[in-house]
Amino acid sequence: MGRIVLNNVTKSFGETQVIPPLDLTIEDGEFAVFVGPSGCGKSTLLRMIAGLEDLTSGQIEIDGDDVTQVPPSKRGLAMVFQSYALYPHMTVRKNIAFPLRMEGMDQSEIDKKVEAAAKSLNLSDYLDRKPAALSGGQRQRVAIGRAIVRNPSAFLFDEPLSNLDAALRVGMRLEISEMHESMKTTMIYVTHDQVEAMTMADKIVVLQAGVIEQVGTPLELYHTPRNVFVAGFIGSPKMNIFSGSEAEKLGAHTAGIRPEHIDIDLSGGTWKGTVGVAEHLGSDTFVHVHDTALGDLVTVRIAGDVAVKHGDTIYLTPQMDKIHKFDEQGLRV
Amino acid sequence: MTNRSLPRLLQAPAVLLLLVWMLVPLSITLYFSFIRYVLNSLRKPEWTKPALSNWRGFGNYEFVLNNKDFILAIQNSLLIVCSILILTVIFGVLIAVLINKTFMGRGVVRVLLISPFFVMPAVNAVLWINMILDPVLGLQGLAVAGINEVIDGLRNLPILGGFFSMWPELEPISFRATQTSAYAVITMVTWQWTPFAVLIFMTSLQSEDQQQKEAAVLDGAGTWSQFRFLTLPHLARPIAIVVMIQAIFHLSLYAEIEIVSRGNGNKNLPYLIGEFANNNIGAASATGIFAVILANIVAIFLLRMIGKTLMD
Repeated sequence: MGRIVLNNVTKSFGETQVIPPLDLTIEDGEFAVFVGPSGCGKSTLLRMIAGLEDLTSGQIEIDGDDVTQVPPSKRGLAMVFQSYALYPHMTVRKNIAFPLRMEGMDQSEIDKKVEAAAKSLNLSDYLDRKPAALSGGQRQRVAIGRAIVRNPSAFLFDEPLSNLDAALRVGMRLEISEMHESMKTTMIYVTHDQVEAMTMADKIVVLQAGVIEQVGTPLELYHTPRNVFVAGFIGSPKMNIFSGSEAEKLGAHTAGIRPEHIDIDLSGGTWKGTVGVAEHLGSDTFVHVHDTALGDLVTVRIAGDVAVKHGDTIYLTPQMDKIHKFDEQGLRV
Repeated sequence: MTNRSLPRLLQAPAVLLLLVWMLVPLSITLYFSFIRYVLNSLRKPEWTKPALSNWRGFGNYEFVLNNKDFILAIQNSLLIVCSILILTVIFGVLIAVLINKTFMGRGVVRVLLISPFFVMPAVNAVLWINMILDPVLGLQGLAVAGINEVIDGLRNLPILGGFFSMWPELEPISFRATQTSAYAVITMVTWQWTPFAVLIFMTSLQSEDQQQKEAAVLDGAGTWSQFRFLTLPHLARPIAIVVMIQAIFHLSLYAEIEIVSRGNGNKNLPYLIGEFANNNIGAASATGIFAVILANIVAIFLLRMIGKTLMD
């Protein structure tokens, strides 16, 4: 079980309020991702749920119990840190056993649980090593193992993959997703990487300056971003957002079109432009187009390989039904 | 010239300097320890010059071993060094952990804490033995006299007086007396060297990983468990360093012993060497060789114990 409810939660450091009143519900078994640019308060929010930061006001409930004043260890949550936070002088076995030892569990039972956790994480061969003798991915798995043995009602992940190289990150992403599928435990995952958010989440919470901009499934956020910020933040490459006369023609203050929803043509189309850089990935081609009516730079994503190069003149045509329109406040119309 | 010999050649001056630096004094000491060599002798003026013709074999060593103060000096050396090590490490860790928290005036407190380390050893000894530990004029004497006066006053109370009159008169301890002067030395050197330990532990505590502590908090570790399982292992290396450096320094303690009791019943090996060196250089050198052996034994023990933590 692990239904987490935040009621009117705020956080101030001295005079500065980093999190204005905020409400959020994370359902039992849900994989929720907090995503936002750095400094948006997502880690602070997670640490408040964990109990590592005090609330300035408001209330946190886990499974209906008010845990606002409950110490971190009694909340039944387990956290995985960005730096792994393994205990460097203990072996992997002792690291994983530490929370159980603190609970005062029987040694035989501890051994059983540690072996089981190690087996599920492919760590059995490394149990007697110290963290210093492990690779980044293995350390991350030990940190997860230490969280699993506690059998928590929810897992909290604080940018767990940021310290890994790109290839490992993709692998660990899958492992964590699979772990969630098999355990069905509530997970809250903090990241600044919107690809991680899109690929892993059941529910994405987009934050900016401590304010929730939108909560929704990955595809909801992709198809119907609530405002300009979410539109620009979710999706890679970024949505082309423009205002001014071209937007007014469409009947909006600001409008946006995703790179994958623009067609190109060499002879004629809505907007004319010059190719700056064309990135050929094989499966896709990202074309960066300058000097269009839309403004400085428009990114276009074309499936497959297209033979365009620097300096070519091309014409862009948006798929009209895929255009997002926003009003003066930046809200979706 | 091959690739390997060039670096060796470049290292040679440094190695040579170190060799000369260590080997020359050691060889001269060894040489002196095997001959009869005194500074002043009216009866045997030929002994006042070091010469191979004055060869005495292990005679100096026998003379030192049979000296009534020798065993005492070794015991005292070990007692003083070990006591100071244990006390400074315990106090050092406690104080360092205490001032690691942020509080008002922490900077001032830190400077004040470090300041005993800047007092000269001889001054330190004079201050302690005359102003604090002196049984009459020192703080100790005044405190004991004060307590006695208070109890004296209480004896005149109507009912409870009988109870207090059963209390004994307190006697101030004379730290210049033979048995207690070692404790005076231990006290004053501990006072002086605890700041050194605090300084090293403090810097180490600042590099402690805060996320590890947070992880431990979530894992259910209380304050004591965090100290026992995180802070103490984190401090293993600095403790090793403090123990090593202090062992080297305190095996050669001299000024404090000279000032507290002039070696009265409280000699360590350096002090014994100093006494012999008043005239008998041969015996002093032999004692010096014993001191080298003792230092090596201590060093081997320490390396065994501490080397492990350093290797990890």
